[in-house]
Order: sequence, then structure tokens, then C-alpha cells
Amino acid sequence: MAVSTEELADSMYALVAEYAGKKKLKASDIVKEMIDKYGDEVDKNQGKEAIRLLMDSERCVYTYFGGTYIELPHKEGSAPE
Amino acid sequence: MAAPARKTDIGPPHYEKFLHPIIKENYGKWKYHEVIKPGVLVHVAETGAKIFTVRAASPRLLSSTTILLICDLADKYSGGYLRFTSRNNIEFILDNEANIDPLINELKQNNIPVGGTKNSISNIVHTQGWIHCHSSATDASGLVKVIMDDCFEYFENMTLPHKVKIAVACCLNMCGAVHCSDIAILGLHRRPPKIDHANLKNMCEIPSTVASCPTAAIRPTYVDGKPSVKIDEDRCMFCGNCFSVCPAMPIADPLNDGVSIWVGGKVSNARTQPTFTKLAIPYIPNNPPRWTEVTEAVKKIVTIYAQDAEKYERVGEWIERIGWPRFFDLTGFEFTKYHIDDFKYAGLTYRRTTQMKY
Amino acid sequence: MSDSKSPILDELEKGPWPSFVTEIKKAAEKSPMAQGLLEQLELSYKEKKTHWKHGGIVGVKGYGGGIIGRYSDASDKFPDVAHFHTVRVNQPSGWFYTADALRELMGIWEKHGSCLTNFHGSTGDTVFLGTKTSELEAIFTELSEKGWDLGGSGSDVRTPSCCVGPARCEFACYDTLALTYDLTMSYQDELHRPFFPYKWKFKMAGCPNDCVASIARSDFSIIGTWKDDIRMDSEAVKEYAADADFNIQKFVVNKCPSKCMSWDGEKLEIDNRNCVKCMHCINVMPKALRVGKEKGAAILIGAKAPIVEGAQLASVIVPFIDMTPPYQELKDLIAAIWEFWDEHGVARERIGECIQRVGLGSFIEQIGLKPLPQMVLQPRDNPYIFYEEYLEEE
Ligand code: HEM
Ligand code: HEM
Ligand code: HEM
Ligand code: HEM
Ligand code: SF4
Ligand code: SF4
Ligand code: SF4
Ligand code: SF4
Repeated sequence: MAVSTEELADSMYALVAEYAGKKKLKASDIVKEMIDKYGDEVDKNQGKEAIRLLMDSERCVYTYFGGTYIELPHKEGSAPE
Repeated sequence: MAAPARKTDIGPPHYEKFLHPIIKENYGKWKYHEVIKPGVLVHVAETGAKIFTVRAASPRLLSSTTILLICDLADKYSGGYLRFTSRNNIEFILDNEANIDPLINELKQNNIPVGGTKNSISNIVHTQGWIHCHSSATDASGLVKVIMDDCFEYFENMTLPHKVKIAVACCLNMCGAVHCSDIAILGLHRRPPKIDHANLKNMCEIPSTVASCPTAAIRPTYVDGKPSVKIDEDRCMFCGNCFSVCPAMPIADPLNDGVSIWVGGKVSNARTQPTFTKLAIPYIPNNPPRWTEVTEAVKKIVTIYAQDAEKYERVGEWIERIGWPRFFDLTGFEFTKYHIDDFKYAGLTYRRTTQMKY
Repeated sequence: MSDSKSPILDELEKGPWPSFVTEIKKAAEKSPMAQGLLEQLELSYKEKKTHWKHGGIVGVKGYGGGIIGRYSDASDKFPDVAHFHTVRVNQPSGWFYTADALRELMGIWEKHGSCLTNFHGSTGDTVFLGTKTSELEAIFTELSEKGWDLGGSGSDVRTPSCCVGPARCEFACYDTLALTYDLTMSYQDELHRPFFPYKWKFKMAGCPNDCVASIARSDFSIIGTWKDDIRMDSEAVKEYAADADFNIQKFVVNKCPSKCMSWDGEKLEIDNRNCVKCMHCINVMPKALRVGKEKGAAILIGAKAPIVEGAQLASVIVPFIDMTPPYQELKDLIAAIWEFWDEHGVARERIGECIQRVGLGSFIEQIGLKPLPQMVLQPRDNPYIFYEEYLEEE
């Protein structure tokens, strides 16, 4: 059975939380991990949609350290409110 | 309460909304152009229609007050139509030739000079520096100001052999095609970052910090029992990447930071192929607010080029013709070991022939 | 005089060139943030050192690009610039505006920021310089309400930009403004939501003069060119010949890099088969010479800064491509390259470096292009060929 995009976003959130402080993940790293985990049930486009969901819900934020990464919200200057 | 709609992914407004009607009618149908006088262009279409452009200087860093002034001038003289160039100049797009001189006069009254066309020194492309960047080894806006003050006659006239494009970048990251200019000023750090071992663990992620170094000079270590990092100083090329990731590794150092001067690059394909700039002066200490040693060196290069180059020779083409030994002779700049490349493909720049000029 | 808060910077109000210090002071009349900037900058000039800290963790909801975070490292002294973030606003193609459009932008900016701007940032965006985290959402909402959007930053498609092109340049070989708009709109998701290993810059130049420095500054550089003969108006050639200050032999013919022109004092001839389309003769005789009629563009890829492998200008992957909308062939190529980059790219590696690592030969094979002699200056001169196939005896 196909994975729902919400489920995928939750799974992504868990991944980011697991790596927090250890390794910075790029959007494409996260999608690749999901494809490894769920196999053919997810593809890149659904991965991108799930990331969009994750960001729009403000559970994660984009950060920039030379390149762009996806992380848990930081204290200082995280998205307002 | 109807909150204003927040829309995403709409992109910029369509440019057609901002085109002068004459431009819209003759879009893609321009036949030729002429430079009427410094800073003033006329473009003539196949139909004979004409559009005039007045090119004015800008420091790029503009207050809203000045933008609003420019808007008023545009309304008064160019029907509200204007644009900016790739070198940060302001261009008023006029259909009425009679408005050109009154516009120029009013610009001058507001200390906005007109020029930068054809064989001139146009505005300097530059980066942010101390105005807005954490990585800078020098200030860009200040250098631009003092160099343009000094070379001002060449902005207002078109007497040089060809265009001279100058650029300023305030650190090795070089945000903005500096390496392909006729003359480039590049800010440099010269000393590896100082490490704040006491706070590093709290302020930074050690793995990301190690990974940030392009030359792999950073290793994890323990200092006084606390996790921290160390730098293999021989490998550090002072890029400051680590500081971007880890604020406990500041690279700015007033004693050692400064600028270097590079010459002879170009991007256009006209005549010779695009090329990078080459090192002329490896280091000049920062001397704000007017960086006299820098402006003198730039003025010297421009003056000698103006005297010695053939018409339609860019700085790099001129040096290529006379040879680098002669360039160092004429300018009196010292040739040092730093001028000899020692990076990966350095060998390609060694002279492997006896063909030489003395 | 002595009560000035910026005696060192005041020196930079002297001289004929317009002064950025004067601009900061004008903005300071309206915004305390600009006053804070002035005072902090004065300190930088005094100490010869920047006072900004990196701040890569701010943005507007859902977008990974468009805001450059910046914090002061001396916020105790200059609380007004404790936050001083940049907003990159996607500029209109060709940097054309009307006064009304600029007033609209300034209206938003005076309300929410430092009143300081860059026209433009080096990538091409309209830059609002300096605001607080708490203002970002309001700025974005008001911009989007008026039909403006943010530009790129980080590992995304950076705001595409182009030269003035057919809007006002007779040399333009394709419509740079239309293509810039089209690509910007087609890749909105890639522009706002970073998904690449690193940044990706598109720059569009209408002819080989490359007024936007695309060959040096972009990962994907689209430079207009033509295939057929340079168009010549012999009457106009005579006018140039009659001009005592203009020397056709010396200024034009002798400077032709392919030595394909000749001038006998009466007639200018061009051996078009040998012309490399460098633009020189057309640049200096714009009334007499024009680019050909069979126009299109060359695509070059992979300009990059890092000195690692020796920095690079972009190099040719498609010598000539048709440039009529809807640009399907171009977009298919872009899709293939992004697919390749997603598979082979590593973090913070530009496409140019990725190609260098993998090899241009394998790269073009994987994106489905045929090797062509135009892609190189010369064939290899070393015999260390990595043959991938050999014959096996039956
Ligand atoms: C005078 C010293 C130099 C300065 C000031 C300088 C400055 C710059 C700047 C500002 C850019 C960024 C353009 C943009 O994307 O907006 C840039 C890019 C670049 N520079 Fe330099 N550069 C210098 C020397 C060199 C040298 C010596 C090389 C190579 C030998 C080089 C190779 C490159 C390359 C390949 C890029 C790629 C553009 C990109 O990544 O977008 N630069 N340089
Ligand atoms: C004088 C030596 C060097 C200088 C000045 C230099 C400069 C730079 C700069 C300015 C960047 C940032 C590029 C960007 O953000 O686009 C960079 C990135 C990088 N450099 Fe270097 N670098 C040097 C040597 C090296 C060496 C020796 C290596 C590897 C062995 C290396 C590997 C990298 C890598 C992997 C990146 C990231 C790729 C990228 O950001 O585009 N660099 N380098
Ligand atoms: C590790 C390497 C780099 C870092 C950390 C870096 C950092 C930055 C920062 C912090 C800014 C914002 C300046 C500000 O507004 O405060 C910036 C702007 C910019 N960067 Fe870089 N940069 C890097 C490499 C490059 C390279 C290699 C290029 C191009 C070759 C580049 C092109 C630009 C451009 C075009 C801007 C806009 C600058 C302006 O409008 O003046 N950056 N960069
Ligand atoms: C006579 C022939 C040329 C014409 C008619 C011409 C036309 C133009 C136009 C229309 C612009 C404004 C472009 C924009 O803002 O996007 C421009 C700017 C520029 N062009 Fe050209 N171009 C010519 C030759 C060249 C050549 C040969 C080079 C390089 C060697 C060059 C480099 C530039 C640069 C750097 C700018 C920015 C200038 C500024 O803003 O002051 N151009 N040119
Ligand atoms: S060149 Fe360096 S100091 Fe200047 S704006 Fe770019 S990253 Fe900052
Ligand atoms: S300044 Fe650059 S080269 Fe030196 S340690 Fe830091 S990241 Fe490495
Ligand atoms: S690149 Fe060519 S077409 Fe574009 S403005 Fe410059 S000269 Fe004109
Ligand atoms: S375009 Fe360049 S190569 Fe071609 S004829 Fe003119 S000068 Fe010669």
C-alpha cells in the first residue's frame, strides 16, 4: 500500500530529529533516505511534496551554511511566531 | 478580519508592464545605436523610430529617498520609464530628445553624474563588505567610492583605448564576476582563523565544522579536556568557510587583512577569448577611509594603459602584446614569488620556451 | 563637525562620485536601523574589521531562499542592527521598471526595513538591505499582494537574470527577457525550495559580448549567436571609410581574431566560414555590420569559483540551439542535467566541479548529448585513454 504524503513527512521529521546536531541533511538526502526506506512506494516528486508539507507546517526549517540544509527550528531567529 | 492574502510561487511581475511603448513596438527590431555623447545613447529601429538612453551613476547602495527622487525625475523626463544596467548604473529611457539636457542638468544638481558609455570606466561591480557581510577582509563600497573619485574623468569621458571594467570583491568567495575584469581588487585574509576553544563546543557542531573546510585542514581534537578542533595551518588558504559554519573561528584580523590587485581579465568574446585576471600586487594593507595606496596603483595602471595601448585593446590584450615583464617594468610593481602560481595546474603557467622579451 | 557620529566615513562624502555614506545618512533620517548601520560601519572603518555574524537560519514560511540572515556581533552597542537581514526580491527581466513600480516597492520597504537597498545584488535581485526577523512575513505578504515574489538563495535555482537583449540592443540573437521570465516561472519550486547539492545560476546573454558575464558567473550560460553570414550594408561601410578618425584596416580588419576579413580601401569582405562570431567588427561598426539571420544560442555549462581544480569559465556543451518558445529542447536538457546532478553531485559541489570529477565525456553521454569537436579546443594529447570496451576471443 502506498505511503501517504503526511506519513512520509512524519517519517522525514523523525529522520531530521535523529540526526540533529550530528549531521546536516540536504533535502535530496532526506528524499533518498525515504526512497531507501519505502522503496518503490515513494518517488522523488512525492518526496518533494512531503518536504513542502514539512516546511509549511514549520516543524522543520531551511538553514544555510554554505549550502542549504533542513533542520529542526533553531532558537535564535527561527521563523516568527 | 480579512488578512491580506499571502501568495507563494507567483514569480516576478512580467517585464512587459515596464517597457516603454516605443520599446514594445520595436522589440527585437533595433537596427543600430550611436553614442551621442558620454552617457547618452540613441537606438534606432528598422522603422526609423528612436529611443534615447541617459546613463547615470549610482553607488548601488541607495536609500529609498534617492530611489523616490529618481522616480520623480523619471516621471518628469522619461514618462516614468527607467532601468538599471548589469553594472548598477541607472538608465532613463526617453522618447523626447529635448528632455536629455534638462534631465542631465537636474541629475547633476543632485550629484548624480552621467557617463559610463563606450571607452570609459563604467561603474564598478562590487560586493557587500563591511556593510553587510561576515566574511569580508575589506570594505567594498569604500573602495569603489575612492577609486571612482580618482578615476572620475574616465567615467565622464570616452578617451580610453577601450572599456576598462573594474570590480571589487571583499573576500575569496568573490560574489560577482571580479575575476574577469580589466582591473580587480580582491580582499584577502592572510592568517588562519583563531579558535575559541573554550566556547567552540557550545557554539558549533564539530562534524559540520570539519566538513566545511575545502582543504581538509580542520581536525577534531580535545583542548583542556573539551572537544574542539585544530587547524593544520600549512593547508589553510584563509577562505573563511569554517567561520561561516562556526562562529568560534573568527578569521577577520585587522593586522593582516588587506587587498590584492589583479589585471587583464575579460568576459566578452570580442577578439580574444574570455580570460581571468592575473596577479599584479599580492598585498596592500587596509588603509581606510581612502585606501590611498590602492587608488594610486589603479590610477597608475589606467594611466599607463591609456598611453601605451592601441585603440580597441583591452587591458589584458595590451599586456599580452607588450608582455608581462614590460608590464611590471612600466608600472614599477615588484614581481615576487607570490606572482608565480603554486596551485594545482601551476605548471601550465611556467614558460616552456626561449621566446622571451627583455 | 566634531559632533558627527561618523568622522571617518564623512571623508567618503567628499569627491565627485555619488557617496554610499550620504545614502546611509539619508536613510537614517527615516530609519533608526540605517543610523545603526552608519555607526557600526564607522566602527568597522576604525578597527578595519567587519562586525557581522553569519545568520543562515531565517526565512519566510515554506521558502528556503530569498532571505540572507545577518546579525551584528556588537548588538549591545548597536541594538538597531542586532538583526539586519537582506530580502532578495526577484527583479523584472532586464531590470526594467516604471517609477510607479519602484514607489510601490519603496512603500513596503520604508514601512518594514532600513530604507536601504541595492539596485541590484550581484545575482540580479532587487535587494532590500537590512530588516528584523519579525518583519519578514509582513514584507513577504505585502510584496506578494502587489505581485512581487522573492528571489533565490542557498542551494536552489538562483534568480535568473539577463542582459537588456531585444528590448534595446540590436545585437540580441534571441529574446533574453522572455527566456528569463519563462525559466523563472517554470522553475518556481526549484527557486524557492532548495533541493540541489548547491546553487544553480542561469544567466542569459543575447550575444557573445555577454554583458551579464554569464560565462564567468553561471552554471548554465545561454549566449546568443548566429550561424549564417554577417549582414553588411556597403553604403554604411563607405561612411565609416570616409570618417578620418576611423581606420577600417587598423581598428577592424587587423583586430579580427580569425583573420577572415579583408579591406582594399573600397570593399570590405568577410570570409564567413572562418568567422568565429566574436562580435568585434560588429561592435565597432554597428551601422554597417549586423549579426546574421539564422540566430540561436550556444549553451555553456559549469563556471565555478573554487580554486581547487583551477577555477573555470563555463564550457560549451551545445554549440547551437534554436531559441523559439516554448524552449522544449532546452528544458529537456536542463531536466537531464538536474537528474545527473541529483545522482552524482555531492554537497556544496557546483555542477562544473561535478562534471570535472566525472569527466565531460561521461557527463554528455549520461545526459544524452553527442560528443562534438566544438566542445573542446583540441582533442586530447595524452594517450591514457580509459577504453570501456574490448573484444573477447570467441
Ligand atoms: C582578482 C582576483 C579574483 C577576484 C576578485 C575574483 C572574483 C570573483 C567573483 C566576484 C566571482 C563571482 C561571480 C558571481 O557568480 O557573481 C568569481 C567567480 C569565479 N572566479 Fe574569480 N576572482 C578572482 C580570481 C580568480 C582566479 C585567479 C580564477 C581562476 C583562475 C577565478 C575563477 C573564478 C571562477 C571560475 C568563477 C566562477 C563563477 C561562479 O562560480 O559563479 N577567479 N570570481
Ligand atoms: C587556494 C586554495 C583554495 C581556495 C582559494 C578555495 C576557495 C574556495 C572557495 C571560495 C569555495 C567556495 C565556493 C563556493 O561557495 O561556490 C571553495 C569551495 C570548495 N573547495 Fe576550495 N579552495 C581552495 C582549495 C581547495 C582544495 C585544495 C580543495 C579540495 C581538495 C577544495 C575543495 C573545495 C570544495 C569541495 C568546495 C565546495 C564546493 C563548492 O562550494 O563549490 N578547495 N573553495
Ligand atoms: C563558501 C563560500 C561562500 C560564502 C560563505 C558566501 C557567502 C555569501 C554571503 C554571506 C553573502 C551575502 C552578503 C550579504 O548580503 O551580506 C553572499 C552574497 C553573494 N554571493 Fe556568496 N558566498 C560564497 C561563495 C560565493 C561564490 C563562490 C559566489 C560566486 C561565484 C558567490 C556569489 C554571491 C553573490 C552573487 C552574492 C550577492 C552579493 C551581492 O549582491 O553583493 N558566493 N555570499
Ligand atoms: C558596441 C557594442 C556594444 C553594445 C551596443 C553593447 C550594448 C550594451 C548594452 C545595451 C548594455 C546594457 C546591458 C544590460 O544592462 O543588460 C551593455 C552593458 C554592458 N556591456 Fe555591452 N555592448 C557592446 C559591447 C560590449 C563589449 C565589447 C563588452 C565587453 C567587452 C560589453 C560589456 C558590457 C558590460 C560590462 C556592460 C555593463 C555596462 C554598464 O552597466 O555600465 N559590451 N552593453
Ligand atoms: S565577497 Fe566575501 S565578503 Fe564579500 S559579500 Fe561575498 S562572501 Fe561576503
Ligand atoms: S579558513 Fe578555510 S582553509 Fe582555513 S581552516 Fe577555515 S575553512 Fe579551512
Ligand atoms: S550581451 Fe549582446 S545582446 Fe545582450 S546587451 Fe550585451 S551586446 Fe546586447
Ligand atoms: S565577428 Fe569577429 S571573427 Fe567574425 S569577422 Fe567580425 S571580427 Fe572577425
